[in-house]
Amino acid sequence: MGKTVMLMGLFHESTDTADAIDRLYEMKIPEEDILVMTGVPYPEQALGRHSEWQRMPVIVLVGALTGFLLGVFLAVGTPTLYPLTVGGRPIITGPPAAVIIFVFTMMATIVSTFLGVLWEMGFPSFENKYYHRLVTSGHLAVLVECLESQVDDIHTIMEAHNGHHIQSAERMAL
Amino acid sequence: MSEAIPLAGKGPAPEKSRTDSLPASLSNEYQDRLLLEAMKDWEINQAVLEPMSRTGPWFWVIVAVLAAIVAWGLYAWGYQIYWGFGVAGINRPVYWGFYIATFIFWVGISHAGTMISAVLRIFKVDWRRPITRGAEAMTAFALMMAGLFPLIHLGRVWKFYWMIPYPNNRFMWPNFQSPLMWDMIAIFTYLIGSSLYLYLAMIPDMAMARDNTVRWRYKLYRLMALGWRGTEAEWHKLHRALNIFSIIIIPVFLSVHSIVSWDFAVTLQPRWHSTIFAPYFVIGAIYSGLAALAAILVLVRWGMKLQNFLRMEHFNALGKVVMVAGLGWLYFWFAGLIVEWYGNEPVVMELLHEEFIGSLAPLFYLQMTCNVLPIFFLMFKKVRTTPVLLLTFAIMINIGMFIERVLIVIGDLQRNYLPFNWGTYRPTWVEISIVAMTFAGFSLLYILFSRIFPYVPVWEIKEGRLRYTLRRIGRLLIPTAAEIE
Repeated sequence: MGKTVMLMGLFHESTDTADAIDRLYEMKIPEEDILVMTGVPYPEQALGRHSEWQRMPVIVLVGALTGFLLGVFLAVGTPTLYPLTVGGRPIITGPPAAVIIFVFTMMATIVSTFLGVLWEMGFPSFENKYYHRLVTSGHLAVLVECLESQVDDIHTIMEAHNGHHIQSAERMAL
Repeated sequence: MSEAIPLAGKGPAPEKSRTDSLPASLSNEYQDRLLLEAMKDWEINQAVLEPMSRTGPWFWVIVAVLAAIVAWGLYAWGYQIYWGFGVAGINRPVYWGFYIATFIFWVGISHAGTMISAVLRIFKVDWRRPITRGAEAMTAFALMMAGLFPLIHLGRVWKFYWMIPYPNNRFMWPNFQSPLMWDMIAIFTYLIGSSLYLYLAMIPDMAMARDNTVRWRYKLYRLMALGWRGTEAEWHKLHRALNIFSIIIIPVFLSVHSIVSWDFAVTLQPRWHSTIFAPYFVIGAIYSGLAALAAILVLVRWGMKLQNFLRMEHFNALGKVVMVAGLGWLYFWFAGLIVEWYGNEPVVMELLHEEFIGSLAPLFYLQMTCNVLPIFFLMFKKVRTTPVLLLTFAIMINIGMFIERVLIVIGDLQRNYLPFNWGTYRPTWVEISIVAMTFAGFSLLYILFSRIFPYVPVWEIKEGRLRYTLRRIGRLLIPTAAEIE
């Protein structure tokens, strides 16, 4: 295995980008060695890439269940632990408990969604990373990890599909 | 968004889905209307970022005036804390006065943000794009103001932590049977949800601002962008999270004002003890919130020169939604009234008498005028698309809705089932100052937000630009949206 390098090229058009990525696949560049960065969300698979499985729904459901149990504990459990005895027993009523359980379920679901998406994205992450500031100005960046021997071929492919700023990628502070 | 532009030529034309062959003038007209004009992405970035740093002398004058009002309000609050709650006008039987009326008003204002952002996102309505952030910010700041009032109304605000459930040596525990506890938890939940929703959708724009700014702004945006690069995985996960948020936050926003209404409805106070109170409060909240949003957008468009983004088509659509919400409010109001009137309960009739021809009549008729008149005027497109008219009616609606809250809280509390216990209420300078503080505080937070954070969701606008093409059907050019969300 030879030494690998990171090569980045910028594109104006999504079609050119997708075509260039197809050519890279034909060169047997594995999908996980290609990273596309855009300033706009393109539809899934528009750039010829696979759809990624996510744990988000599971995280959200676990959060919701936690909130539900917390709500049950507060609305039903704590009146038993700290009883305000009325008629010989603590006050535990259905409709108010339903309100509390609902709100706590929702609160935990919201917080778990937020924390879940940050965790899935690996945020916050401030270390230096491969990036180009023109991405947020409308350019599509294709980052390829390849062998040194493949650099010229990849350069040619990118150029043939109207790529520009094709050069070794630089890590920058984000 | 879906209006067609007639083609100049006559005779049938084949259906096309590309814009290339269209006359340049028509193409330009279409593009101008749908924000598809020849603006490059970096030009859009600049058009959003540039007004953020434009602060003339008037800006600072406004900030100074608002800050002074806030300072005065804080003094009034301190005065109340020092001398006790007796300095406020509340008394027996009007235990809830200006504070709680304003609290309901602010919770109501907060509803439009979620309505616009979450509901319209789920339905993939495109005109939401330029206004979602402004709406979400309005929700967050309105809730902050609303959240102050339970603290202010506690009197002994330093005892607030007694409402937090944790084992303690006071042998006391919050009573979760109390609607006031529901209130605290629901508002806290909504504030957390709205703030996280606002922030999550802002992350890509924080990265855009990070890439285009220097000095303190760069440091701030870098911190808030969390390392965003715009990879496919990041976009995909962000979309998924926003969709989940949109679905979760709708029942939360419905529950918050329902719970606030139950503060009233679960009591045996005449005119409050009603099953219709929750939906009536919710629709009123949406009505006032949307109107407030319309007013704010007109002012921001004018103040920040955002005419490129906040266009007549957005005001037109927003005006229609305000009008529909107004009709809904009117329906619920009448549905409540007719049942009360047929019930013929003496104390309820006394309250109705007070409103229609008694001491509350001036407020009641002012409220009805402010709430009903705009509904009819907003039926006209000319009104909806003339900013100054829309602003006028939006302000009218909010005056009307504020008075409505005053009538519900203060008006109805003056009469009850024990005639010897009837009374009246006048707010003191302390209450008026504190209420004014929240209006100034909201405005101040909003103005500062609009100068520190990108007011227009840039990435959502760019995504919207991706969706549209022009399709020629017969002699018309029809804007056509692609299913990419």
